[in-house]
Amino acid sequence: MSAPPPESPALAAAEVPRLTEHLFRHEAGRLVSMLTGIFGIDRLQLAEDVVQEAMVRALQTWPYDGVPRNPAAWLMQTAKHLALDVVRRERRFHEKEPAVIVAMEQRLADPGASAAPFFDDEIADDRLRLIFACCHPVLTPEAQTALALKTLCGFSPGEIATAFLATEAAIAKRLTRAKQTLQEQRVAFEIPSGAELATRLDGVRQVLYLLFNEGYKASGGDSLVRGELCREAIRLTALLAAHPVADEPATHALFALMLLNAARLPARTDDSGNLLRLAEQDRSTWDHRLIASGLHHLQLAATGDALSEYHLQAGIAACHCTAPDYASTDWPTILAHYDQWLRLTDSPVVALNRAVALAKVAGPEAGIRAVEAIRHRPPLDAYYLTFAVLGEFEAQRHCLPAATAHFQRARELAELPSEQNFLAKKLRGLAPS
Amino acid sequence: METPEKSDYLLLFRGTDWYRDLSPDEIQAKMTTWMAWFNGLVADGRCLGGQSLDAETRVVSGKARNVSDGPFTEAKETVAGYFMLRVSGVDEAVAIAKDCPGLPHGMTVEVRPLMARCHASELADSSPAAVA
Repeated sequence: MSAPPPESPALAAAEVPRLTEHLFRHEAGRLVSMLTGIFGIDRLQLAEDVVQEAMVRALQTWPYDGVPRNPAAWLMQTAKHLALDVVRRERRFHEKEPAVIVAMEQRLADPGASAAPFFDDEIADDRLRLIFACCHPVLTPEAQTALALKTLCGFSPGEIATAFLATEAAIAKRLTRAKQTLQEQRVAFEIPSGAELATRLDGVRQVLYLLFNEGYKASGGDSLVRGELCREAIRLTALLAAHPVADEPATHALFALMLLNAARLPARTDDSGNLLRLAEQDRSTWDHRLIASGLHHLQLAATGDALSEYHLQAGIAACHCTAPDYASTDWPTILAHYDQWLRLTDSPVVALNRAVALAKVAGPEAGIRAVEAIRHRPPLDAYYLTFAVLGEFEAQRHCLPAATAHFQRARELAELPSEQNFLAKKLRGLAPS
Repeated sequence: METPEKSDYLLLFRGTDWYRDLSPDEIQAKMTTWMAWFNGLVADGRCLGGQSLDAETRVVSGKARNVSDGPFTEAKETVAGYFMLRVSGVDEAVAIAKDCPGLPHGMTVEVRPLMARCHASELADSSPAAVA
């Protein structure tokens, strides 16, 4: 248990040392994974508690003692001892499962283990086990993403609430219920095998995709937090892609799609937060390191014959990333990707995006016909983009009254100020001068 | 030489689980705030020192001088640490306590005046180093 900072005036100048950004957040996921490996998934709360306590201790003592040479090992050692204290106290009070505790003490107290707490492989395995546990199908998708953010990424209920536009109380309840469910359903802390592995991996990728999209989509929430969500999704997907069990084409495709989209994030808004369309973005601000890495993983994804939705989305993103300017965008390839994507999904939103690519290849009339065929399917019937796209097509073929009507409807349906500003600008551009 | 109207107060911080609902990043930010608060008070001479208390607990009680572990009181009541203040009076001590960064996270601060004269304070006054 611990508290406010120390101590004697002689050391008053000491300050919380400058550390690698998010050192604690990133270590938290590793530490919780390792401790859960020791104490079991039903003690997830214990693991989280002692990891936090170890961090508070670090922040109390490092300013005076200096940052240890291996901060991660220091944190692990401290967290282990704190966990042992709790378990010993429980034994004293409850006298339960003494054999289990003795075994734990032996494993924890092993002097060899204290020098190099765990092998990297072992850490990677524990992290993957925790990813599988957080993304377990007994949990709802909302619970899966919240739990992943909490236990794997070191987010607080407050930070998760900001990201998901929910209340902190609702998130806290969701997390408690999720941990209860894992306990009640006796979810194993393991990497699934055999036939189960494939479906469970699909589930994990789906959660990471949701996490990334939550950060990537422009709607609502604090933009800093949303950037963090994208980065965390990328970090976890990197772990997945690097593990022999999950190193599959679909994982690399998912990783590629994240990297290729994240590369363009900084260019997506202007200084006052207004959305910039592809044609308006300054391509020199795209992150070329991320693009290179994304293209590399797209190549790794192109093995075997399984084609996932991630492949096609990554392929589309790659077309945008590799075009030197908007005019040289390879629309026929993008359209081909959309066509293939639509064979895998029945999503009207994907169909709407396809219509945009189609108009680029075959002209605005073809685009209008494609949208007319799908515009009555929810959610397109009340989706601002449906009308923004139609307005764009009408403007392209110089039907200004129709374009104006569509843009007006789009502005009524748009919820975000950035979207409304964008549409207002469009309408001003159409107004006869 | 101390100005005569100064008096000493102990700020007793209670609550050891203030960080339970915070993320590592938030904990780091909060600790930085704590540190700056404490350093500021020390720098302007209003805080003579302070310390956090560790969890390891022994309780010695009774005629028989029984020694026991614990009592493991509720986390929110457990003393987490203290500051020694030398300020103009209780109002100033309370004003400082109100700045405690742990208050929004369930901590409480007890403001206790030190008795004006006792053997310990005489020692402390004659030899300031004994406090530090």
